[in-house]
Amino acid sequence: MRNVWLIAKREYLERVRTRAFLVSTLMIPLLMGGGIIFSTVTTRKAKPTSHITVVSPDQQLATDLQKELEGGKESRMTVDVISPGNSETRKTLDSMLVDKQIDGYLIITPGTNGSQRPTFSYTPRSAADVVTSDTINTALRNVLLRERLTHQGMVAGEVDSLMQPIEVDTTQAGRKTDTTSSYVAAFVLFFLMYMVILLYGMNVARSIIEEKTSRVFEVLLATIKPEEMMAGKVIGVGSVGLTQVLVWLIAAILLTGTSLVTAVAGNAVQVSLSPMQIIFFVVYFLLGYLLYSSIAAALGAMVNSEQELQQLNMFLVMPLAGCMFALGPVITNPSGLFTRVLSLIPFCTPLIMYLRISLAAPAAWEIALSIVLMVATIYGILWVASRIYRVGILMYGKRPSLPEIMRWLKYS
Amino acid sequence: MAIVELQQVRKVYDSKIAVDDLSFRIESGSMFGLLGPNGSGKTSSIRMMIGITVPDSGQVELFDRPFDRKYLHRVGYLPEERGLYKKMKVIDQLTFLGELHGLDAATATKRAHAWCEKMEITEAIPKKTEELSKGMQQKIQFIAALLHEPDLIIMDEPFSGLDPVNATLLQDTLVDLRNQGRTVLFSTHRMDQVEKLCDAICLINRGRLVLSGGMQEIKSRYPKNRVQMVFEGDASFLNNASVDSYKNYNGMAEIKLRDGADAQNLLAEAVTKARITRFEVMEPTLEEIFIEKVGDRVDA
Repeated sequence: MRNVWLIAKREYLERVRTRAFLVSTLMIPLLMGGGIIFSTVTTRKAKPTSHITVVSPDQQLATDLQKELEGGKESRMTVDVISPGNSETRKTLDSMLVDKQIDGYLIITPGTNGSQRPTFSYTPRSAADVVTSDTINTALRNVLLRERLTHQGMVAGEVDSLMQPIEVDTTQAGRKTDTTSSYVAAFVLFFLMYMVILLYGMNVARSIIEEKTSRVFEVLLATIKPEEMMAGKVIGVGSVGLTQVLVWLIAAILLTGTSLVTAVAGNAVQVSLSPMQIIFFVVYFLLGYLLYSSIAAALGAMVNSEQELQQLNMFLVMPLAGCMFALGPVITNPSGLFTRVLSLIPFCTPLIMYLRISLAAPAAWEIALSIVLMVATIYGILWVASRIYRVGILMYGKRPSLPEIMRWLKYS
Repeated sequence: MAIVELQQVRKVYDSKIAVDDLSFRIESGSMFGLLGPNGSGKTSSIRMMIGITVPDSGQVELFDRPFDRKYLHRVGYLPEERGLYKKMKVIDQLTFLGELHGLDAATATKRAHAWCEKMEITEAIPKKTEELSKGMQQKIQFIAALLHEPDLIIMDEPFSGLDPVNATLLQDTLVDLRNQGRTVLFSTHRMDQVEKLCDAICLINRGRLVLSGGMQEIKSRYPKNRVQMVFEGDASFLNNASVDSYKNYNGMAEIKLRDGADAQNLLAEAVTKARITRFEVMEPTLEEIFIEKVGDRVDA
């Protein structure tokens, strides 16, 4: 155990001290924070603030539209009303458009008889300003609908309540949750886990190859067992990953927790992590990391250079990539048979089961079974991997043969 | 007591036989040389002694008992190729390796400093390994094998790549260690190095034992039938009956005597004919013995 600890300690300290570690640890939270602020700022900008002129013989319609566009939910536009226009109006407006005094103008022509809809013609200064014309479109629909309903004899208050958007409360296994935020949180953690497992799994393989090429293992093997060496590496490199994720998680909590961000972003962008999500994240991250890094260690022991590792690393990437492809069905139906089976396959468990826990509420026995299956698989892979490691690490330019592995198994 | 004993050890890689039916023993407190040309199976034999590989057949004994990993903390090992972490500082590296051999960090650091002083590389202590010259790295590796004061020191080609001054420094250190009662085993393909250092040797070629035993005992097995002399004057004494063949380089002659001939006869005749400034009966060198036994050139 002492040897495992020594190897892990060295691996950890040497890695944490590198500039690459510092940069990647700090960059991710900065990017996260930057991303949130950026998305807030851009969505704000999306509320159009254009200045337009409405020309309409129907004074009432024009004023309603003006109210909707200047004070409505979706827009903060400035609207001038000309009612009714004359033959010179269009020319004047065109020249104002050229002088950039207005961003566009809308001409409303009333229908020839009472039941016919009026026709609308919008002339923007720039055809690319889709947001403004979309907003005008929506506002017109609202105004006309309200007008029609009032005509049918409805009171203004009734009309307003009828036109409220419909809200559906989602409850998840009895507790009320904010669906959007749990989706976002699940995704953020899913990708974090995917990235870290891939990154640090590969680091284990690389660190073993480095030891092979620098021939340090020969000195180490003269005192310690290959199993101890491999366990130390997996734990050491894993702790580096955990340290990094911890920093990231703290940053995420700070970012999502501070009122500043909430204020800037509004409730829709808020990402919240429940304690359960964090606990299961740690559990599945550790298990997933152990599983994939043992595979990586075995791969590292089998090859002689990073180039050769590139050829084999599909074994590492494939199951993870498979989980990515399975994301669609998993998210649309987090409790379906496909997802349930998938979440019990140890190679997919850390990602898929975690996603299920975040999105739905899998039965406790399913969670327990998935953990048991993972632990068993990790044990099996470590057992085989440490054997491959013992043989592979001393091979130069050739893959270990089966009889050789068998002979090594007998000797411990 | 035999510190190391190999019994009919055999190791095969793929189809290449690395070591075949090799047996020898190393007595406690001796300086033992494992000799042989490149690719003769020296490193393969050493790796089996410290459990890095396992013999396909045969027995390895360490400290008079069948091989067991738990004795490895009493062994110091210097591999043939440098095995150091490139990015790690020398002092951290030595401390780490010392700790792996069972020392606590403080003792390991203290000893590392003392050894660096002894090996005249104190300036390397705060540096990273990759910043050091090959010779310095070799010395660090050398120190790493000795920090835990092992009873058995196994060094694979310890002098390769060192300049004569540093090679002598390492040799002297090994002799000191032997004099302290430790057992030293080192391998080399330079047979001239071994002659003055070793108490006993084992000479292997193509994975097989050529000869083994005490240094003096081996040499005494071979006749002293070579004479080197320097003289002025008549060279006709070179046709003496006891001379088998000779080469005369203008007053400096290398002579091979007939089997059983006495060099004194030759000297007696030479004195009467020429002025002798030097007359030496030469011991056979290991290289000559090797060539005689194997009938092969040794690449030095």
